[in-house]
Amino acid sequence: MAKGRLTRLGRYKILGEVGRGAMGVVYKAHDPVLDRTVALKTIVMTQDASGRTEYEARFFQEAKAAGRLNHPAIISIYDFGEEGDLAYMAMEMIEGTELRDRMLQGAIPVREAIDIAEQVADGLGFAHERGVVHRDIKPGNIMLMPRGRVKIMDFGIARVRISDLKTQTGTRIGTPKYMSPEQVLGQPVDHRSDIFSVGIVLYEMLTRSSLFLGTDTEQVMYNVANIQQISPSRLNSEVPATLDLVVKRALEKDPGVRYQDTYEFASDLRNCLAELGGREAPASAVVVDTLPLDAPAAAAGRGGEAEKTMKPDAEKAVDKTILLAPSASAPESRLALSSRFNSVFALQRLAAPTKRDLVLFARVPRPIGIWRRLRHDRDLRRLIATIVTAALVGGAIAFI
Amino acid sequence: MNNAAISPPLASVVYLKVHEIARRPVLEQARLRAQLEAIIAVTIAELAPEERIVLDATDGAAVAVFRNPCKALQIAERALPAAGAGLQLRIGINHGAVELAAHGGGHNALTGDGIATAASAAHFASPASLLMTRSFRDALADASPDLDVSLRPAGVFSDAGLRSHELFSPDKGAAARRRKRFLAIGAVAVIGFIGAGVAVRFATVDREQRFDRLFEKVGIPLGDYRQALRRSIGIIGL
Repeated sequence: MAKGRLTRLGRYKILGEVGRGAMGVVYKAHDPVLDRTVALKTIVMTQDASGRTEYEARFFQEAKAAGRLNHPAIISIYDFGEEGDLAYMAMEMIEGTELRDRMLQGAIPVREAIDIAEQVADGLGFAHERGVVHRDIKPGNIMLMPRGRVKIMDFGIARVRISDLKTQTGTRIGTPKYMSPEQVLGQPVDHRSDIFSVGIVLYEMLTRSSLFLGTDTEQVMYNVANIQQISPSRLNSEVPATLDLVVKRALEKDPGVRYQDTYEFASDLRNCLAELGGREAPASAVVVDTLPLDAPAAAAGRGGEAEKTMKPDAEKAVDKTILLAPSASAPESRLALSSRFNSVFALQRLAAPTKRDLVLFARVPRPIGIWRRLRHDRDLRRLIATIVTAALVGGAIAFI
Repeated sequence: MNNAAISPPLASVVYLKVHEIARRPVLEQARLRAQLEAIIAVTIAELAPEERIVLDATDGAAVAVFRNPCKALQIAERALPAAGAGLQLRIGINHGAVELAAHGGGHNALTGDGIATAASAAHFASPASLLMTRSFRDALADASPDLDVSLRPAGVFSDAGLRSHELFSPDKGAAARRRKRFLAIGAVAVIGFIGAGVAVRFATVDREQRFDRLFEKVGIPLGDYRQALRRSIGIIGL
């Protein structure tokens, strides 16, 4: 990294520091050519010569792909380049609040949460259509703008950072809390991974709680791959039943069962908004069958940068998780009581059984003996009676 | 020690899995769920509220029925025709242990092998069909010994955890076929025993007449010893 205070990068004049991330610093800068203020995101290049070539190639490829994305919900990239050990991206300078900070400030109303998720899904749908997968959707990468608009940040950065995992032992690559199961299992990632991540963000906005918690990275990754979430409506009664289904479908562990199209996800969210009376459902909001979307970046491998908490032995953790992960078809053994049916009486009986109930509930089925069988089975009884009678009659005919 | 005091309660769990619900659009999922709830409401109407608990599953619903395997079977059999209305159900029934548990957000849940095994059985059932476990068959036979004859083995299946389940499926025609089989066996027995009696009888009469002709031909007087002789010859099989 450049030593001392940075005053200029490429043609940009640095005005001040906006923030710091795991990969570098974000500056507020001035573009003298177009006379506008930009956000300049810098990324430190690796020192290793062979690694650097690969790193640069990937950075520029991703920056170009992200630069082609022109959507109201995606931050615009104006320019990119490198100088010394620093690669940089000049982006639209936006004033707003990160969703992460907004979530820390307090509860987000259901309607607003759906609106944010819908805008993010819409923006992602636009990017996915052009073959760009974000791979690092999390509250820290979603900026809330004035008048309810949303911007997705850091497109393509996550994929650039994969090389860190491969080349720099012990590099922190981020928390897996918002990764998809295929990401934590090291399987190929496509646009459906982003859908899962938006599902997590939406779940957390709705329930005001973290979905995949754990005491360490391995546990969080295990939970991401295996734990089935409680319906949001059980944690927040304002959540409508349809939204439960939308969240559930976005958070399916199997990408093949999840939403296949981000626009379909966005459309369902719009329907939920309409159900809540928040916004008119568009005429095209009729839900259609899912269509697979072939993103060229599908086979890009595991992504997911991030911010602060990944352990140095992240690769080891990934391997362990693969071993631990059971099949997605493992049966459910804990089911919540249906809110549509009144089960209070049976619950009371279970919670405080009488002595008679204790005996009856625990009674193991007895094997049926021949006498019980005969007593209850009329057909068998008739057969035996017929045989015995026939034998007696036959004997009588023969010997009397 | 009192076993009843430490054993978890046993219940017959009917697991109603909607075929491929997760792959369907959300609005259709909502419609199918509403349909499923309506079916459950109708099928459990006869059960007293303290005898059943209705549970939500990610791919359908489950009903835990206490102390009444026959009713559990009835619920499943009544729910199956819903396939005609576009709701393809895969139903699994198991009789096993269940226990109350917390589910987050202060809500109750039911957990236990009774549910997990019923879910496995439902997983193996094809759309619009019903499979039940060996333990449910035993419970059903215990509750109503004439009902278990209407089940037939469906095979042994291994789940994701490599647990084997011996499963049975209902067979409406099984009781009728068994009755016919019994009728045939009864008829054969009647014909066999009576025929044998008649044959023995005829053989005995015929033999007596042959002996009489033989004695007359050889000139043996038909005296007091004739009967004894005839019996002796009969005994040695001539």
